Amino acid sequence: MKASILKTDHLSKKYHGKMALDKVEMSIAKGSIYGFIGQNGAGKSTFIRLITGLASPTAGSFELFGQNSEQGLIQARKRIGTIIEGPALYPHMTAAENLEAHRLLKGIPGKECIEKTLKLVGLQDTGRKKAKNFSLGMKQRLGLAIALLGDPEFLILDEPINGLDPMGVIEIRELLKKLNKEHEITMLISSHILSELHLLATHYGIIHEGKLLEQLSAKELNEKCQQYLHIKVDQPNKATTVLEGQLETSEFEVMADGTIKLFAYTDSPGKVSKTLTDEGLILEQFMPMGEELEAYFTNRIGGVQHG
Amino acid sequence: MGNLMKTEWFKLRNDRSLWVLTGIIIAYAVLQTMMDRLDGGELAQLNDYYQYYALSFNEQIVSYIPCILAGFFITSEYSRGTMKSLASSGNNRTRIYYAKLVMFSVGAIIISITMPVVMTAISTIAGFPGSLDWSYYLQTIGLTILYAAAFASVMAVFSIMFTDSGKTIGFLLLFFMLADTLLGMISSKLAFLKPVHDNSVFQLSKKIIEINQLGGTEVIKVTVVPVVTFLVFGMVGSLIFKHKEIK
Repeated sequence: MKASILKTDHLSKKYHGKMALDKVEMSIAKGSIYGFIGQNGAGKSTFIRLITGLASPTAGSFELFGQNSEQGLIQARKRIGTIIEGPALYPHMTAAENLEAHRLLKGIPGKECIEKTLKLVGLQDTGRKKAKNFSLGMKQRLGLAIALLGDPEFLILDEPINGLDPMGVIEIRELLKKLNKEHEITMLISSHILSELHLLATHYGIIHEGKLLEQLSAKELNEKCQQYLHIKVDQPNKATTVLEGQLETSEFEVMADGTIKLFAYTDSPGKVSKTLTDEGLILEQFMPMGEELEAYFTNRIGGVQHG
Repeated sequence: MGNLMKTEWFKLRNDRSLWVLTGIIIAYAVLQTMMDRLDGGELAQLNDYYQYYALSFNEQIVSYIPCILAGFFITSEYSRGTMKSLASSGNNRTRIYYAKLVMFSVGAIIISITMPVVMTAISTIAGFPGSLDWSYYLQTIGLTILYAAAFASVMAVFSIMFTDSGKTIGFLLLFFMLADTLLGMISSKLAFLKPVHDNSVFQLSKKIIEINQLGGTEVIKVTVVPVVTFLVFGMVGSLIFKHKEIK
């Protein structure tokens, strides 16, 4: 099992008598991309603000890179890159000047990293253009460049693809994947849109009204959300032969109780039922199963709500 | 601390408000001196011109104009979100505050000495009669620097508390307009506050102009009080910033 980069222990935060974060127990393993999902106001940003030292917990504690003392945490934060509630930019400065201010802050020697990082996020040609004149997408890219400066081991990104156009979303997603794969950068990415994280995250945490409802791996989530046809017939062995022979698919699983999960033909169940009955099989149970990702999320937090 | 100081210095150099304010003061100083030179009347002695025009008018600049810089250089870090980057950068909050305070003080000092320096330079070039009393000149410039830093430390405390630069500027301007008068009124009713008022930077800053007429003890007081004010308000500000939740 990989070491934890971040581990929280009953982390809580109360604002004006209301629990914004309630005994959160989270663990993020080194090298993972942790998708932190929750509606607006669910507690994602509060959690991130505690981890990054912008606010103090009301109760509980956390370890960052194995550190939990005040001084230890300050030192550990030198190893992280952040975007917290939008990119933090100096509007009257150019992209390179913004990076220079953060290069000095992080004490990175040499200016080569500025050009390299701008190229990485596709902002190398912005020249003398001030950040205030950037599009929202360009600002997000610059915010990401700032977070990436100094080769952080852990990236904390709060809604990093807000405002990006579809191509921008793909580019940033591929960049984050590449950074995770090639540099083994661990990431905590918060979003209120599950589908944004679905192609990226290796692990998920679902937060609602300050409570971490569930932590699961991408594999577990996919299993829960995978669409399939639940089939129960009088002769399971014959049914598998029919599926392989007549329907030319091996995308099924025979369960211990004899029921079959068919992962193919989910969009044409009629064809499956007709083929099976034509072969003389009796369908005892036949129904589509599985949830859409968004449906899974909304069911988990207790129905559709608007925050 | 070195990294923080370099960062703040970089930001100060790139702060447009500092250079706009300095530019306005330079333009005013040049215009005022040239108008005084060309108005046809009898010219003041160079040293008198420095003392009664440049220095006396500069009293207002030292306590008011840096309020505008405080709003843009300190408070706007909150509205831009860059305070979050600073606070989560793995630096101690106390150090972050002191780096900010020191560089803000440098900005306030630049603003505060521009008028006397430029007016003296222009009046010398323009041929005002007499010569400059260099001892008095350097003493008053030195004290202006000390009082600019002391006022800056007071401004920084409020600038770190507010998160809207407009509110900071408005509040600080009102505060610096009324603080001395209010403290004077209160101390006239509450006797124990009289020494505080009499020895406050607000009162003592008025004595910069007459430094050549003060005795030894008074000179020490005029020199030490701004230093103590800077240290005390620096500590107060750093404590506030250390415990502040950054939103």
